[in-house]
Amino acid sequence: MTQHMSPPRDGTPRTAAGPAPAWRSLAARTDVRTLSLLGVLAALILIGSITKPDQFLDTRNLQLVLTQASVIGVVTVGMTFVIVSGGIDLSVGAIVALASVWATTVATQEYGFAGILFTAVVVGVGCGLVNGVLIAYGGMVPFIATLAMLASARGLALEITDGRTQIVTVQGILDLGERDSYVLGVPPLVLVFAAVTVIGWLVLNRTTFGRRTVAVGGNAEAARLAGIDVRRQRLHLYLLSGLCCGIAAFLLIVLSGSGQNTNGNLYELDAIAAAIIGGTLLSGGRGTITGSVLGVLIFTTITNIFALNNLQSDVQQIAKGAIIVAAVLVQRRTASTT
Amino acid sequence: MAPEPPLLSMDGITKSFPGVRALDGVDLDVQAGEVHCLLGQNGAGKSTLIKVLAGAHQPDTGTIRWLGEPVTLRSPIAAMRLGIATIYQELDLVEHLSVAENVHLGHEPTTAGFVVRGRAARASTAALLRRLGHPEIDPARPVGGLSAAQRQIVSMARALSHDVRLIVMDEPSAALDPDEVDNLFRIVGDLTADGVAVVHISHRLEEIRRIGDRVTVLKDGRAVAGGLPAKSTPTREVVALMTGRDVEYVFPARPPAAPGGPPVLQVQRLAREGEFEPLDLEVRPGEIVGLAGLVGSGRSEILETVYGARKPSAGRVLVDGRPLRPGSVRAAVRAGLGLAPEERKAQALLMLESVTRNVSVSSLSRFSRAGWIDRGAERGAARRATRELSLRPDNPAVPVRTLSGGNQQKAVLARWLLRGCRVLLLDEPTRGVDVGARAELYAVIRRLADEGLAVLLVSSEVPEVLGLADRVLVLREGRVVHTAPARELDEHRVLDLVMEGSPAS
Amino acid sequence: MPVPTSPTSRRGLLFGAAAVSAGALLTGCTSNEPADKDDDKPAANDRPAADDRPGKRVTIGFAGPQADHGWLNAINDNAKSRAGTYSDVTLEITEGSNDTAQQIGQIETLINKKVDVLVVLPADGKALTQVGLKAMRAGIPVVNLDRVFNTPQAYRCWIGGDNYGMGLNAGHYIGEKLKDKADARVIELAGLDNLELTRQRTQGFDDALKNYPNIKKVARQAADFTVESGQAKMAQLLQAQPEFDALWNHDDDQGVGALRAIEQAGREGFLMVGGAGALSAFQAIKQDDGVLKATVLYPPTMAASAIDLARALGQGKGVGGLAEYEIPASLTLYSAVVDKTNVDQYMSTGFR
Repeated sequence: MTQHMSPPRDGTPRTAAGPAPAWRSLAARTDVRTLSLLGVLAALILIGSITKPDQFLDTRNLQLVLTQASVIGVVTVGMTFVIVSGGIDLSVGAIVALASVWATTVATQEYGFAGILFTAVVVGVGCGLVNGVLIAYGGMVPFIATLAMLASARGLALEITDGRTQIVTVQGILDLGERDSYVLGVPPLVLVFAAVTVIGWLVLNRTTFGRRTVAVGGNAEAARLAGIDVRRQRLHLYLLSGLCCGIAAFLLIVLSGSGQNTNGNLYELDAIAAAIIGGTLLSGGRGTITGSVLGVLIFTTITNIFALNNLQSDVQQIAKGAIIVAAVLVQRRTASTT
Repeated sequence: MAPEPPLLSMDGITKSFPGVRALDGVDLDVQAGEVHCLLGQNGAGKSTLIKVLAGAHQPDTGTIRWLGEPVTLRSPIAAMRLGIATIYQELDLVEHLSVAENVHLGHEPTTAGFVVRGRAARASTAALLRRLGHPEIDPARPVGGLSAAQRQIVSMARALSHDVRLIVMDEPSAALDPDEVDNLFRIVGDLTADGVAVVHISHRLEEIRRIGDRVTVLKDGRAVAGGLPAKSTPTREVVALMTGRDVEYVFPARPPAAPGGPPVLQVQRLAREGEFEPLDLEVRPGEIVGLAGLVGSGRSEILETVYGARKPSAGRVLVDGRPLRPGSVRAAVRAGLGLAPEERKAQALLMLESVTRNVSVSSLSRFSRAGWIDRGAERGAARRATRELSLRPDNPAVPVRTLSGGNQQKAVLARWLLRGCRVLLLDEPTRGVDVGARAELYAVIRRLADEGLAVLLVSSEVPEVLGLADRVLVLREGRVVHTAPARELDEHRVLDLVMEGSPAS
Repeated sequence: MPVPTSPTSRRGLLFGAAAVSAGALLTGCTSNEPADKDDDKPAANDRPAADDRPGKRVTIGFAGPQADHGWLNAINDNAKSRAGTYSDVTLEITEGSNDTAQQIGQIETLINKKVDVLVVLPADGKALTQVGLKAMRAGIPVVNLDRVFNTPQAYRCWIGGDNYGMGLNAGHYIGEKLKDKADARVIELAGLDNLELTRQRTQGFDDALKNYPNIKKVARQAADFTVESGQAKMAQLLQAQPEFDALWNHDDDQGVGALRAIEQAGREGFLMVGGAGALSAFQAIKQDDGVLKATVLYPPTMAASAIDLARALGQGKGVGGLAEYEIPASLTLYSAVVDKTNVDQYMSTGFR
């Protein structure tokens, strides 16, 4: 959860590292931000249970919320890495669109399940590669490079589809989205999301790659002078984000049974918002996968509660904005008082 | 003092920024028609003082009097209205606007209050440029196409476009050729003859002698001497005031025998155009070599070029006789170099991270298998490295930002110790370290050398170089002017070399 | 995609619209005939209507939004293929754009090229009114397609779909199917909520349902015309409503996602009506093995009709089936309900 191994709760260093009581070490290990996010999520669950007890507290609804969170969740994991490194990837939605339509053309569908999966991932990684090379070795500002990718990938997606919806006819893909494929009640999409989350967490917290990502984001100059290959790290980060987009595109194909150039609309903003709510610093150097995933779950739960209560789009949008502000304020409050 | 009040007098000005007291009760008085020089080392408070004078910073306490009347300089505009104009070191001109537009920026001649009269602006600009001896500058030209010297003139014209009584110039000669400097000084002479006062900031003592009337020396946010006669105060005294210390540092003893063996670091004809001239030096294991020089002498640039953080324009760096790939930090680190840079927070530390992670960042591959970090091993190694340097608190899990300056520096040293580095490059190792902690840091550095590290040390504090290093190279404006064993030099001799550039004592 | 507002004018024009559609179908079926030598005669002396026999050469400029949606794509296809059937029509078609400024520029280019007639489907009707006026003042008659300009001065003829009518017909269709069921529950999957047309469709739907007191609309959620949003919103609706009898979905594109969600949830036992007229919807209706039983048209063939009208304008003639010498000022197309009984007739107009 936390980047610090045992951050002193008030910033004063402990002079001796004596064995702390179990509850204390647990509290110290869990970031206050994460705790406040869990609080927000708990409050939402409470609201959902009170307003629509029958529909909300239901296995099917849990499956629904997690499934709907899967696609944007996978994108957000990749985005979190990029933001932690001090970058930004505005092209995620467009990459998801491009990968999803490329993977569902008639020609690709001839190669069946594997062809679709392979194409989605390769297109995602390919776009990430272009982003990474432009940013790491071309010296372009991430904002601009990925904005250019956003425009080009959307354009190419439109070019491929001609604005048409590409229906998937590969049965294996379609089956994967059906209830029959659930593993012990867990939809395969959710399994993928969970796997990406766990792997993302491990990579960020337990590997040299994650450590270097944090270092580059925290202080790129210091990282460079410490002997880290900052440019290669950046390249790999955008590759990673592209990979996540490719996986997300595949999940979206499974979910919607189609590929469309309008897919992934505004994913970049949703993913950035989820990461920021999750406590990732937009300036880089700090961020947690747990927080980002909680951010995604909060958004998805809000949408779910609104839909169950039949609230209309205008109210939904106003409330969503208010909740973003509230969540960030609560975090700041809890972070500063503890 | 004359019966009439001075043009400007500042009394007991203090100004604090978070964590720093930049000005600590500074007094300054400036008479009409004089050139008043401000001297001081970097960080002495000169920039803060002139920003207070320009209305860009508000002092915490203290009073400013203008012709004897207390005034508050709430904003740069307020200062300008009084007749105070400031010419900053980084000239604040708008590249895409013309000379005339820059000169009149913010007070354009207008008709009916808003229609800019371009022709009038150009005419008055041309008159100002003639007065400044530069009629060749076209007022309609964009500033972007002008040389550094011409921009200086434009800035000056901008100052004079107001009804100016006091001009503050921050190192105006830094970017100028000698004859351009002559022209500048001629203009200064004309201005002072008209009764305009000039506050002049410069590192070059000879300039102060040439045009200065009086000198105020700043040190650590205080005016340690005010109103000294600029022409007659001995250099030695000025220098002593600039560097004067309250506490004598305790330096560790040098080893009895001079270090032998082949040099681990060799620098051959290394140069960077515009920064420093071809340089040769060698450092042996166990030896500390010091580079002494003022700001702008190229010290930090040399260190960073050796380290590969800047690409040299000529020459090479060898470790154990093998040349390093130029301009590659990674090659340098792999070969066993480590840098403790001048700006510790900006260039070395990950301020949001724990001490452990700051220490281990350059040695991650040692604690990892297939990219997987063994955090137990990492913690243990970081703890050993920080203990060896007596880093306080003795808990590497604390965030590095909570550490004092000296302990932050130890964290940087621990990073390289853990890495098993063989050549340590230290840039201003005691910057921001309080006096008490310095001695301990000196002892650590000496001990690391005694254990076989080669150390290349850069410092603007001459006693530090003399006390710590075995051999000293004296730099002036990117050139080595003298090399000698430290024990054969003393502070005054080095300062003479640094400031005058002549080896004669 | 706003439409003319007065309901009376809408009703009054239904006949004309049907006639144009019928005429379009007929002319579309016949191929080019040998050139008629009489084409320079004044229209009034002979047949007032433009027909498929070649007449005076007409250059038609066509400017539409970016075809990023199946329906818009079908608009372009309809315009192109219709123009292709006339040997006397040259079509100057611009790269579609959703950017108002860019579309204005494109239309100005067409004005400068002095095309004979302009057909404009604006990205935003209100924002493009000025350039419509400009064309009209320059003597180039404008056929305004679907999304209406602010003032009738900006076009010679408006032709478009009927969003209110879509909702109305969908509501009546569902109402008739459920009229014998007590306490029937209906839900609505709307389109992009910040578009006026979505409100109009919902209004029409609600107005129709008022005629059936036994039916209650229990839920409404807005998607945004994409498959992705259709799936997501439908999944939520299904979870929110364990029991309902009918669903109206505004748009067949998002309907692909909605059907996917229905399939994933394993839900059946209700009637679904779509909107717009996509080929996939027609096929599903024909197969009749799922919940989708009908769809309400918002016919993209209106682009073909617009070309006919433009050609008639350029040749100074009226349209077939109408007595007038001139083409009408406004044509609102009928939103027919396509179900199993008549789907074959419409199959060829379905867009992908």
